[in-house]
Amino acid sequence: MKVTVKMIGAFVHAAGFSERTFDLALGTTTDELLEIVKIEKSRPMIVARNGQAVTPGEKLEDGDRVVVAPTFSGG
Amino acid sequence: MFGWTGNILRVDLTQKTFRKETFSEEFAHKWVGGRGFALKTLWDELEPGIDPLGPKNKFIVALGPIAGIPAPNTGKTVVAAKSPLTGGYGDGNLGTRVTEQLRKAGYDMLIVEGAASEPTLLYIEDDKVKFLPAAEVWGKGTYATNDWIYERYGRKAGVLNIGQGGENLNLYATVRSLEGRSGGRPGMGAVMGSKKLKAIVVKGSKPIPQADPDKMKKLGAADLRTVHEMDKKSGWSIQATTGILAWCNEVAALPVRNMRKTRHSDAWKIDGERLDDARIATYGCPTCTMHCGIAIRDHEGRESELDYENIGMLGSNLEVFELDQVGSLNYLCDDYGLDTISAGGVLGFYADAIDRGHVAGDFRFGDGERAKELLRLAALREGDVGNMLADGSMRMARKIGRGSEAYAMHVKGLEVSAYNCKLCPGMALSFGTSPIGAHHKEAWVITFELNQTVRDSYGRDKAEKVIELQRIRGGLFEYIIACRFPWVEVGWELEHYPIYFNTITGLHWTLDDFWKVGDRIYALMKFFWLREMPDWSRKMDYPPMAWFDSANADTDGPIAGKVLDLEKYDGLLDHYYDLRGWDKRGIPTRRTATALGLDDEARQAEAFGRLED
Ligand code: SF4
Repeated sequence: MKVTVKMIGAFVHAAGFSERTFDLALGTTTDELLEIVKIEKSRPMIVARNGQAVTPGEKLEDGDRVVVAPTFSGG
Repeated sequence: MFGWTGNILRVDLTQKTFRKETFSEEFAHKWVGGRGFALKTLWDELEPGIDPLGPKNKFIVALGPIAGIPAPNTGKTVVAAKSPLTGGYGDGNLGTRVTEQLRKAGYDMLIVEGAASEPTLLYIEDDKVKFLPAAEVWGKGTYATNDWIYERYGRKAGVLNIGQGGENLNLYATVRSLEGRSGGRPGMGAVMGSKKLKAIVVKGSKPIPQADPDKMKKLGAADLRTVHEMDKKSGWSIQATTGILAWCNEVAALPVRNMRKTRHSDAWKIDGERLDDARIATYGCPTCTMHCGIAIRDHEGRESELDYENIGMLGSNLEVFELDQVGSLNYLCDDYGLDTISAGGVLGFYADAIDRGHVAGDFRFGDGERAKELLRLAALREGDVGNMLADGSMRMARKIGRGSEAYAMHVKGLEVSAYNCKLCPGMALSFGTSPIGAHHKEAWVITFELNQTVRDSYGRDKAEKVIELQRIRGGLFEYIIACRFPWVEVGWELEHYPIYFNTITGLHWTLDDFWKVGDRIYALMKFFWLREMPDWSRKMDYPPMAWFDSANADTDGPIAGKVLDLEKYDGLLDHYYDLRGWDKRGIPTRRTATALGLDDEARQAEAFGRLED
């Protein structure tokens, strides 16, 4: 399945890309995706799938858009 | 008394007189500084119902006990007055050398009264005060004014100034300092302009009284280094506040087209990545080691310093997606001394009203060139259009009528900052209950809401979180005075602030002591509203009606078909009032006032409206 990952803020530098589409095995979870894109899970971050916050272990689906952003607390 | 100088400088521009006054330890402990000092002073000294642009209004520059002492990020000053934009208490903070210089001159607060007959520069150097002519720079922008001041007084002087916006009484004119610092969204620049006060220049040479200056010096230096390292590690200042634009676009919370839309396929053109790529310089406030001002070259080749609110309100909200043009709009706002958020809100509202045929005009979304001209008209109050735009979206809507009030994006008269809350009930509550109007600085709850709660829910947890953040952001950081970003952005714990405060003052306060001060300030701000507006109703704490209008719902994306629910918002507001100990109108009860030490103020407020037990 194809999943697009969008990095925001400092994660662009951490992951080495801004936006990229990945070919993933069916059933891949958001946690597994973070390992694939080499983002340490201990880093404070907010992850959204199709514009909605993800729940732990959430399974991805074909065509999903996942956004990884720092835990902004605001301007 | 340590920590506070204990002095106020009171200046009368009409009489060209000044005097040094002292304040009591009780006043210092009860109101701490900054917003607390300014609010209590305006409450005690302003006649109710005065014209905010008349000589009876007072312009206040207020500092706090840790302000100006090297530690993470203590270079901020609060400017305050009765707001000409909202009619309530108004204030803002900005990074400036005035913070350190005014404290070193021996004052914690400057109160400016009356009005000069000629353009004036108020010069303060320790115990000396001079009223100097400023006609040479009257009519000039803030950059030229700043340079003119630097040539005469050196670059280390503390400077606050206004541009043509303030001079011409544009109601969202701000106060400016340094290269790109701006503050006082609810028209604090217009209040200076109404007093013909073009600039304040401050130099000080005295030590700031501290209980343990040696300890504070070591602590402050070490902590500034640590915060710098934390910022580098997190990478926050690479995009700084502008990183949030791409996130807002992804989660459908970006202001687009006067907040009619929440996303745009061109948003990436003005996002934090593009901004970082276009960076030509970085600017920051004094005593800061995580500078967040990203400067780029604008369309005309000038340097323009941007943050998220600028690109959100002057970019996506106007559908201007050329970064250099957004830079130009921002430069003009800064030079004229206009609030970029309100300017973006006002122009967005104007384009929307034209679009709907509610007013005649030639401005369209996406027209950056015309937007520049409109900013000029608004700053100079030139012609009917300039005068209308200079009054802000609330007054514009009253004038235009035809139902346009529903999409004038303001709360209490202050334009909404760059978060589109079409489906963010908690953030809408934060804007709604912000006591100075729709400002993001009071409680920025949107990431909590979208990540840790069900987005489309109106539970008590959201009201609790808004209050928690108001205590910290609208409270602690506004009266102790420090920039909130080390805490909000790189994880510098709040516990450091009582340590600074106690080291400087010799007191033994905990965070709980601070929360009570914040609650006191919020309650008195509500009494201020009641005094100015005896027919106050809870509707004043509503966000713009456009967010409740199903005709406005997104047609695709994460929140397609959904908008806020007014009945449920009312329930959320009830939770908020209940948690704060306020009545159903949103006015503190007598019991709450007593618990906060506001018995006298409650009695005074009762002359203007009934208080519940
Ligand atoms: S983080 Fe930004 S706003 Fe805060 S003190 Fe530093 S430069 Fe100023």
